[in-house]
Amino acid sequence: MSRKPAGVRTEYIETETGNKVARKANLVGTQHIMLGGKTVIMADAMIRGDLARTAPTSSSSSSSGTAPGSNTAVFIGRYCFLSKGCCLRPRDASTRARHADDTPSAFTYMPLRLGDHVFVGESAIVQAAAIGSHVHVGKNVVIGEFAIIKDFVRVLDDTVIPANMVIPSFTVVAGQPARIVGEVPEGGHEAFELRELYRTVGNNPQPASV
Amino acid sequence: MSSSNKRQSVLPKVPSGPKAPVNFGSHVTIADSAILTGSHTINISSESVIHPRARLESTYGRITIGRRCIVHERTHVGAPSSDDKRGDFGVLTEDYVVVEVGSIIESGNTTIGEGCHIGPRVTIGKGAKLGKHCTITAKSIIQPGEVVPDYTVVYSNGLRRTDKRGLEILKAKAQARQIEILRRLISSNPAKFKD
Repeated sequence: MSRKPAGVRTEYIETETGNKVARKANLVGTQHIMLGGKTVIMADAMIRGDLARTAPTSSSSSSSGTAPGSNTAVFIGRYCFLSKGCCLRPRDASTRARHADDTPSAFTYMPLRLGDHVFVGESAIVQAAAIGSHVHVGKNVVIGEFAIIKDFVRVLDDTVIPANMVIPSFTVVAGQPARIVGEVPEGGHEAFELRELYRTVGNNPQPASV
Repeated sequence: MSSSNKRQSVLPKVPSGPKAPVNFGSHVTIADSAILTGSHTINISSESVIHPRARLESTYGRITIGRRCIVHERTHVGAPSSDDKRGDFGVLTEDYVVVEVGSIIESGNTTIGEGCHIGPRVTIGKGAKLGKHCTITAKSIIQPGEVVPDYTVVYSNGLRRTDKRGLEILKAKAQARQIEILRRLISSNPAKFKD
């Protein structure tokens, strides 16, 4: 930030931990969003941090004692890349988890967790419960509520992942609704590395090395 | 939080057209950054929830949102259609309708029946009529003028089937509960949209 030339409004805000957040990104409820560092959030990406966990009404008196950060809505790991127009939102669990007396349980909104090196393509909508590390989500993908994506998964463009689907590691999924169409080839892991991509955006972008 | 020079975290300004005349029912939850534009009236009935960045446009006709509806972010209700003919009204959604992220509902006598669930990134064409309790799954397209019977499920690139689960009452209950939660989470500012 200190190297920023005076009077020039930069396109990205670069934090001390190396996150690059576009000024035109729509982040709602920023206090509930946790970035692991070196994460790129491009313009028009939307993260719904306001849909955080809330304490149940029955024990709201004791909620003041909870640790800070316990109601974080979105966890994002290192070297994640959120492209233009994508949307990350935690899903409400009120229809699922409930106490014996049929009242919604403590966690009204399940936090959304992204691992490291997760690429989210343009205009993708992510409502998953968890995404592992080294996951590539293509353009215009819709990930349904409570879907779980494990490590090293490639989701091809225009896929619709139905609610509650669990995608095992090292698979390629596509289709509407999504099916497993293949496996990540032997030695295809390097393609998921996003360190290079991280360097090519920001206020001082470096050209991609070929 | 303690440092005074912390960057003020605000949503970027929303480009918007003329302010639409609005008519809210009681207990409407509408986020500050929702966009209500156009020249015709926008009616939002009681206990409905409008998420941030939802766009309701009444330029091409009146918009009516029923009771206990949820309109998610980045939706565009009352979008312009390809031909210019205008209907008697723009969009009418009955009670307990959910419109999920990024859906587009074109304007021009478009009717969404009670209890319909419109998934993420769906396009509903101009003049389409959805029956009661339909489920339109993600990225489906309903053609302009199409009539969709009650309890239809549209999935997987346009396949149809009939929903025989009989869950309408349960779904309505769950939705009421969800609205209860959303009301606490979304900072509502209906006064902003009134004159």
